[in-house]
Amino acid sequence: MSLVLILLPVLAGCALFFVPRADRAISRVTGCVVAAITFFLPLLAGSDGTFAARWLSRPFTASLHWAWGGLAFWMVLLLALCTFCAILATNMQQTRTMVALLLMLEGTMMGVFMARDILAFALFWDLMLIPPFFALVGWGEHRDTAWRYLIYNFSGGLLLLLSTAAFGVLYGSTDVIGTTHQLVGQWAPWIFAGFAIAFAVKTPLFPLHTWMPATYSDTPPVMVSLVSSLQSKAGLFGFLVIGLPFFADAMGAWKWIFIIASLISLLYGAWIALVQTDAKRIVAYSSLSHLGLIILAIFSQNPIAIQGAFIYIVAHSLFSAALFLILGYIEEREDTRSLVRLGGLGKINPKLAGAFTIAALAALGLPGLAGFVGEIVILTGVFKNGYFWPALIALIPIVLASAYMLRLLQDIINGPLREDIPERRDLTWVEGLAVAPLLAALVILGVYPHAVLYAASLVGVAR
Amino acid sequence: MITNPYTWADWSAVLPLFIVGGVAVLVLLADLVMRKANGWVSILLGIAGLIAAAVYAAQNYEQAHNAFYGGFIQGGFAVVLQEVILISAIFSLVLFHATRRPERMGGIVALVLWATSGAMLMAGAANLMTVFLGLELLSLALYCLCALSERPTSRESGLKYLMLSSTASGFLLFGMAMLFGASGSVTIASLANAAVASNPLYWLGGGLFLVGLAFKLSLVPFHVWSPDVYEGAPLPITAFMSVVTKAGALAVFARFAYAIPASASHALLLPFFIIAGISMIAGNLGMLAQTDMKRLLAYSGIAQIGYIVAALAGTTALGVRYAIYYLVAYMFMNLGAFAVVALLSPSAQDEGSRIEAFHGLALRRPALAAVMTFFLLALAGFPPTAGFLGKILILSTNVTTGFPWLAALLIAGTAISLYAYFKVIRLMYDRHARPQESAVAPLPLAYVTMAICVALVVIMTFYPLTPSNVLPLVK
Repeated sequence: MSLVLILLPVLAGCALFFVPRADRAISRVTGCVVAAITFFLPLLAGSDGTFAARWLSRPFTASLHWAWGGLAFWMVLLLALCTFCAILATNMQQTRTMVALLLMLEGTMMGVFMARDILAFALFWDLMLIPPFFALVGWGEHRDTAWRYLIYNFSGGLLLLLSTAAFGVLYGSTDVIGTTHQLVGQWAPWIFAGFAIAFAVKTPLFPLHTWMPATYSDTPPVMVSLVSSLQSKAGLFGFLVIGLPFFADAMGAWKWIFIIASLISLLYGAWIALVQTDAKRIVAYSSLSHLGLIILAIFSQNPIAIQGAFIYIVAHSLFSAALFLILGYIEEREDTRSLVRLGGLGKINPKLAGAFTIAALAALGLPGLAGFVGEIVILTGVFKNGYFWPALIALIPIVLASAYMLRLLQDIINGPLREDIPERRDLTWVEGLAVAPLLAALVILGVYPHAVLYAASLVGVAR
Repeated sequence: MITNPYTWADWSAVLPLFIVGGVAVLVLLADLVMRKANGWVSILLGIAGLIAAAVYAAQNYEQAHNAFYGGFIQGGFAVVLQEVILISAIFSLVLFHATRRPERMGGIVALVLWATSGAMLMAGAANLMTVFLGLELLSLALYCLCALSERPTSRESGLKYLMLSSTASGFLLFGMAMLFGASGSVTIASLANAAVASNPLYWLGGGLFLVGLAFKLSLVPFHVWSPDVYEGAPLPITAFMSVVTKAGALAVFARFAYAIPASASHALLLPFFIIAGISMIAGNLGMLAQTDMKRLLAYSGIAQIGYIVAALAGTTALGVRYAIYYLVAYMFMNLGAFAVVALLSPSAQDEGSRIEAFHGLALRRPALAAVMTFFLLALAGFPPTAGFLGKILILSTNVTTGFPWLAALLIAGTAISLYAYFKVIRLMYDRHARPQESAVAPLPLAYVTMAICVALVVIMTFYPLTPSNVLPLVK
C-alpha cells in the first residue's frame, strides 16, 4: 500500500507530460485528485501499509521497505496536504509542467518519510532533489542557483550514502528505521557525522545554509512552499528516526557543535530577516532561524524538547507553506516582492490580508496558533535539561521574529497604498481554498495540540 | 600416429571465439557477393554471429574448464565478461546501423568481430601468452577501426592509438618476460607461488605488467590517449572501445591481482589502487572542461574505471562480484548515452557530439533529452539507477576491506562529476536556447536500444544480480 503513495504521484507526474502543454484544467484536477488520494489513503486504510521486499543480502541486508506508521504518518499527511494546496495554487505559464514536478516531488518525498530502510531512505533522499532542480532550471532567475542547490544537497547525499554503507557493514542491516539500537565503537561518531552533515545541509543549519536563501527566492512559490515546508524537514526527520535511535551517544559527543551552530542559525537568520527587503528572503531566513530552534531541541536530547520539536516541525510546515503561497499570490499580482515597492494591500484585498495575517502571526509564535505550542514546549524542555544559557539565547530570536514578521505584515498589508502597482484583485475562491486548509490546521493545532502531542510522544517510543 | 593432446572440452571452451572469428570471415565473403546491400547484410550477419556466440558461451557458465593446460579458463568470471563484451559489440553494430553507414561495411563488421574475439580471449586468458594474443588481436583491429572515419581527427586518433597502445604493449610484454623469468612459467597460476615473490624480477615484472594494464584501462596518469582517441574514432567504435577494452584489461588485471600471493599482493597492488583513486578525481575534473560529448564520456570512463578497480581493492570475493556488477551497469549507462549521441548525428562528417548540439534539446526533442538526462544521472550515481547501487556496493567493500580512503575519494570524485554531468543536463533544458533544426534520424532500432538500456539500468537497481561463481580466477 505504501508503494501506492510513492508510485502514484510519480507516475501521474510522468503521465502529465503527455497532456497538451497549454491545458491547465486537466493537470490541476489530476494533481489535486492524486494528492487527495495520497491524503485519504493512509487515513482510511486502517493499517500501516507495510511494503517490504528483500533488496540486498550481501554485504549487508537491505530491504525495499516502506510503511506509514508512527511519525511517518504525520509527515505523509502533511506532505499530501501541502502538495494539494500547492497544486491548487499553481497558476502560471506551463502549469502542466509545474504540477508534474510537484507530483514527482511528492512521490519522492513520500519515499523518504515512509522509508524503513536507510538505503531506501538514501535512495529517495537523492531523488527528491531532481524536481526542484528542474524547477530552478526552468523558472529560476539566476543561473547559479540551480547549481548551488544541487551541488550542496547532492554532496550531502553522497556523505549520507557513505555513512549508510558504513552503517550497513557495521550493523549488518540497514532495514532498521523504527527500531532502536545504540551503535557504539570508534566508528560510530564518524558515521553519525556523515549522516549529520547530510541532514544539516538539507535543514539547513549554519554554516551549511548558503544554498538556501537564493534557492527559496528563485524557485516559483508553489514549489518553494513544498521545499521549505517538507523537503527541509527531511533532515530533521532523519535526526529523529536515524540519529536519536542509533547514535544517541555520538549525538552527545558532537552536541555542543550542533547546539552552537543552531544558536548561530537562530540569531543570524533572525537578524538577516530583519534587514532584508525581499519578502521571500525574509521568510527564507526566518526558516533558518526557526529550524535552528528545532535542531537545538533535538540535540538537547530532552524528551519534552523533542516532542516540542515534532510539534514545531508540523507547525513550521504549515505556516511556511502558507506564507510562501501567499507571497506567491502577492508577487503574481504586483510583479514584485520587494518591501520597498509594496504597501497598503490590505485596504483593497481583505481576504488576502486576513490569510497573510494568520500565517504571519503563526510564524511569530502568537499563542493560540500552532507555532506557539512548539516554541514553548521546546524551550521548556531545553530549560529543564539544564541548558539555561542556550534556552535564554533562543528566546532572543523569538522576540526578533515578532519584529520581522510584523515588519513584513506592516510593509505589505498596511501603510499607504502605493499608486504605481498594477491590477489588484482579491483572492479568488480557488486561491483561498488553497491556503484555507493550512490556516485551519494552524488554528486547530494551536487550540488543540494534543493530536500532534500524541504523535510526538511516539518519538520517545522510537528511542 | 599423432594423438590429439586436446579434448573436445578444450575446443568447446574457445568455440564462442571461433564462432565470432568465423562469422567475420563469412561477413567478408557475403560482402563480396552482395555489394549492393548497403551493409545491412553484414550487420545482420555480424549480430547473428555475436548472438550465437553469446548463447553458446552462456552454456559454459556453470562448468569451469581449464582449457589448453591453463591457457584459457572458461566458466564463471570469463563467461560473464565475454557476455559483456558480446553485448557491447552487438550494441556497436546496432549503432552502425543507426548512424549513417560508411561505404565498406563488410570490412568494418569483420574488424569489430575480430576485436571482439580478441577481447573474449582476454576475458578467459589464464596465461601470459594468451593474454598478449588476445590483447594484440583486440588492439590491431581497433587501430584500423579508429582511423575509419573521413574526418581528419579520425586519422589522428588511429595513429595516436597505435603509437601509445604499442608502447603500453611493450611495457606489458617486458613485464611478462620478467615474470616468466622469475617464475619459470607463463601461467598466471604459477605467480601464486609465494617463494617466487622474493625474486626482484618478480616485482619489476609485476610493476611493468601493471603499468601496461593501467595504460589499457586508461587510469591516470596513463590516460591521456583516451579522450583524443575517443574523439576521433567513429561513434559506434568509441562506444565499443569504451566498454570492451576496459572489460578485457579488467579481466586480466583481476586474474593477476587474485593470483599473486598475499605477501606480495598488498605492496604490489597498492600503487595500482592509488592511481585508481587518482583517476576518480582526475577523470571527473577533466570532464569539467570538455565541449565534446565523446571527450566528456571518455573522461567519465576514466573515472568510472577507477570506481571499478577500487571494488577489487582488498581482492575479496565480493569485490570481484561488485566490480562485475558495476561494469555491467556502466556498460548499459554508457552505451545508452552513446545511442543518444548517435541519434543526434546529422552526417558522417559531423557526428553531432559537440556539446552545443545538446543546447535546448528538451525544447526540440523532449523524449531524447529525458533519456539522455537519465543516463547522465545514472553515470553520476543518482538513484534509482544501477550507478547508485553500484556505488554503495563498492563503498561498502572498501569500508570492509580497510580502504576507507578509496571510499572517500569515490565520494569526492562523484561530487565533482555531478557538476560536469549536470552541465549537459542544464544545457539541454535551457529555455533561452536558440532554435536550431534537429536532424534526428528516424531509426526505431536505436530507440529500442535506448529503451532496453533504460529498463536494464533501473531493473539492476532493484534486482542486483551479482554472479556468484566467479572465483577462483586461476587454477
